[in-house]
Amino acid sequence: MSPSADPQANGPERNGRYFPGRGPAYWVCAGFACVALGAAGILLGYLVAESLPALRSQGWPFLLGKDWFVGENYGALPMIYGSVMATALALALALPFALGGAVFVAEFLPARARLIVKSIMELLAGVPGIVYGLLGMSFLAPWIKDAFGLIDGNSLLAAGALLGIMVLPTVMTLSEDALRSVPAEYRENALSLGLTQTEVVFSVAVPQALPGIAGAVFLGVGRAMGETIAVLLVIGGIDRIPSPWYDVFSPGQSIPSKLGREAAESLGYGLHWNALMGLGLVLLLMTMAVAFAGNLFLRRARP
Amino acid sequence: MVRGVERPRGFLLAMLALVWCAIGTAAPGGAAEEQTIRVAGSTTVLPIVSKAADRFKVSHRGAAVSVNAGGSGVGVNDVGNGRAQIGMLSRELTREERGQFKNAGLKTHAVGRDAVACVVSSEVYSAGVKTLTREQIRDIYLGKIGNWKDVGGPDRRIVVIDKETHRGTRHVFMQYVFGDEQARAPGARLVTGSNNEEQTKVAQSDAAIGMLSVAWINPDVVGVGIREGGKVIQPTLESVRDGSFPISRNLNLVTAGEPRGIVKEFIDFILGPEGQKIVEESGYVAVR
Amino acid sequence: MRRRLVDSATRGLLFLTTLAGCSLLALILTAVVGRGFPSMSIEFLTREARDFGLDGGIFHQIAGTLILTASAGIVSFPIALGSALFQTEFLKSAGLKQALRIATYTLNGVPTILFGLTGYMFFGALLGMGVSWVTGALILAVMILPTVQISVLEAIESIPAHYRESGMALGLTPWAQIRSIVLPQSFYGIVTGVLLGLARAAGETAAIMFTATAFSGAGIPRSLARPVSTLQTHILVLAQEAVNPKAVANAWGAGLALTALVFALMLSALWARSRLRLESHR
Repeated sequence: MSPSADPQANGPERNGRYFPGRGPAYWVCAGFACVALGAAGILLGYLVAESLPALRSQGWPFLLGKDWFVGENYGALPMIYGSVMATALALALALPFALGGAVFVAEFLPARARLIVKSIMELLAGVPGIVYGLLGMSFLAPWIKDAFGLIDGNSLLAAGALLGIMVLPTVMTLSEDALRSVPAEYRENALSLGLTQTEVVFSVAVPQALPGIAGAVFLGVGRAMGETIAVLLVIGGIDRIPSPWYDVFSPGQSIPSKLGREAAESLGYGLHWNALMGLGLVLLLMTMAVAFAGNLFLRRARP
Repeated sequence: MVRGVERPRGFLLAMLALVWCAIGTAAPGGAAEEQTIRVAGSTTVLPIVSKAADRFKVSHRGAAVSVNAGGSGVGVNDVGNGRAQIGMLSRELTREERGQFKNAGLKTHAVGRDAVACVVSSEVYSAGVKTLTREQIRDIYLGKIGNWKDVGGPDRRIVVIDKETHRGTRHVFMQYVFGDEQARAPGARLVTGSNNEEQTKVAQSDAAIGMLSVAWINPDVVGVGIREGGKVIQPTLESVRDGSFPISRNLNLVTAGEPRGIVKEFIDFILGPEGQKIVEESGYVAVR
Repeated sequence: MRRRLVDSATRGLLFLTTLAGCSLLALILTAVVGRGFPSMSIEFLTREARDFGLDGGIFHQIAGTLILTASAGIVSFPIALGSALFQTEFLKSAGLKQALRIATYTLNGVPTILFGLTGYMFFGALLGMGVSWVTGALILAVMILPTVQISVLEAIESIPAHYRESGMALGLTPWAQIRSIVLPQSFYGIVTGVLLGLARAAGETAAIMFTATAFSGAGIPRSLARPVSTLQTHILVLAQEAVNPKAVANAWGAGLALTALVFALMLSALWARSRLRLESHR
């Protein structure tokens, strides 16, 4: 299995380290390393290739059209709107709690309590989407219906609130990590200048950790945007932009939910499939842009 | 300094060996097997096939029947593409489907009859909406009628429930109401998929209208009578049997070409006395 | 004085947001346990589902989720480890390293439903594996690959330089270095990554609902080409039947079982990670 017995196999020295030569193990590992690259490539390539017929037959109206009716029209705007709106609602609802919580846990809690709260948060980040969906349809949607006097609780607001609950632990733990990575001497210096503890936090720690916090928020956005099952169960499933557009009590449709409901109908077949893959491509580009921005911030956050 | 060498190495090597064995067996795993029947499609037909499958397995040892939902469109698509041997269809094949899968030579086998009722929440029914005309249903789905008081019910906004466009129930219902199986319903507030989902949404609301197979009607989800030219036809199995209920349909199984072997045996089982009893038990009308 | 006041007010506010967040999450756990516990029993866990899951138990669903998750882990682990070793021990080009890293992070952000759909077209349709255990396992394996890979990579990269240096001082060849230094020192990191990946696979629904599962009649698959039944898709079907109290009860029971499984994996991962920290601080 290993070519280590052969001294010739040793590669050149760099940075004081030896690299093994190109034995069979090298190529096996190289092949494995390319799996992720290949999977990402296949995914993007497939989505582009399969959505081309839809883009060609529908033209720009594919992105801007408001009407989606299988066999006639494929306009993606209601789904794009639904995805963006649900994600924005999720952020608006989750951010105050996630960031407030992160600051409190990072700056004011003793180490032991911190560890406990963080472990709980990480556990909750792992609760399956389908369980959140079950919670959403049993508790959240009926509650929204009663609280706001709607005729039905399945709405953009229900989807947004559910997504907010889902991403809260992720955003909170990652923001907390960012705050903890600010060196202690910054705080000590500020404290010695006579600032109160909260002043230190908001004038020193938070600004220093801002790129990391932004990264955490972007990762949360990506997760919210891609969630399928939980959203599918509470968003209402109507491919329509409400009027007025900010009426979050109306039902809507997000891209993943649309895919989850309709994909089985035309798996790999016809213009309908091409249009669905077009939606998939839009979703992929949106999440990639978000992930890219997030990683940019996270990398800046690391010294 | 270099600690813990022995234990993890043995463990890792064992893991790696396991992995390669697994990959080795996984590689030829795609090969076909003989005795499995794959069925997919309409949730209306699903109870029949699922129950039949359970009993079929008892009499035919070694046979496995896997059943998936998804809707009539999915059933046709899966059979046309060879992903399933039997598709479940709660309507007839459309011309597009026949054209799209010309090479597969799709063939339908009617196994039962069913009616699609216009259902309302029980609160609406008991408040006075016992019948509706075709025009009233149409205006509700178009969004022209938005309140139950306009059709003799309580002063409550109507929660109009539509179905995904590929569902057989919707095709049949829209064909009756609009004269077009692909009609749009701009008045809809919710879109549901399976019969179960639709039934749940109607039951949970106190002001909903929907379309549902009669087999799913229960005390919470009540079928309204259809008023046609002074006559009222109730959505019951009797009116399906005598042909008077206007929104009825065949429940079909679809295969690619003539069924053979175990697939034929299974379809014959459903068409036989035991299978037809299951059709009746499921709330539909037997065809034999 | 005013600054003191602002200080305590801010503290109070922060405390309240934390409390609100935590209690919301406590509420979720209470709801899942409270609703799921009444359906829990030995029979529920060990019997087959009957009558579309309204009756009987969830034995096949538990088994299906376990085998699908385990096989995804088995496929994913060597790929992730090989890839991480390649990047840390073999690869010299910084540009290529960067490209691999970008691919991993991109893959990590891909919505799972897209893995399901394109994965099905690739494994299921193109390679002819159909709706089956093997298709689902491979899709999940690709889906969790970035999770496992990032953890393993971070664990290997955090090995202190003096460990490697002492290895070199002993005249170890690169392969001996990997076997006797890199792998043992990153052992708990690798375990953490694998467990996190498994937890992610076990909770996933969208990627497998079209590709690996059957609504009924799947049982315990007798070959890799057969479909499986899983807790996730079982809950999805039952959840849509929410008028029937039996369906709701069984959906919550299955939900509790699934949550417990995922939590068990996550807790093991957290434990392994704490071991990693302990070892690296020694």
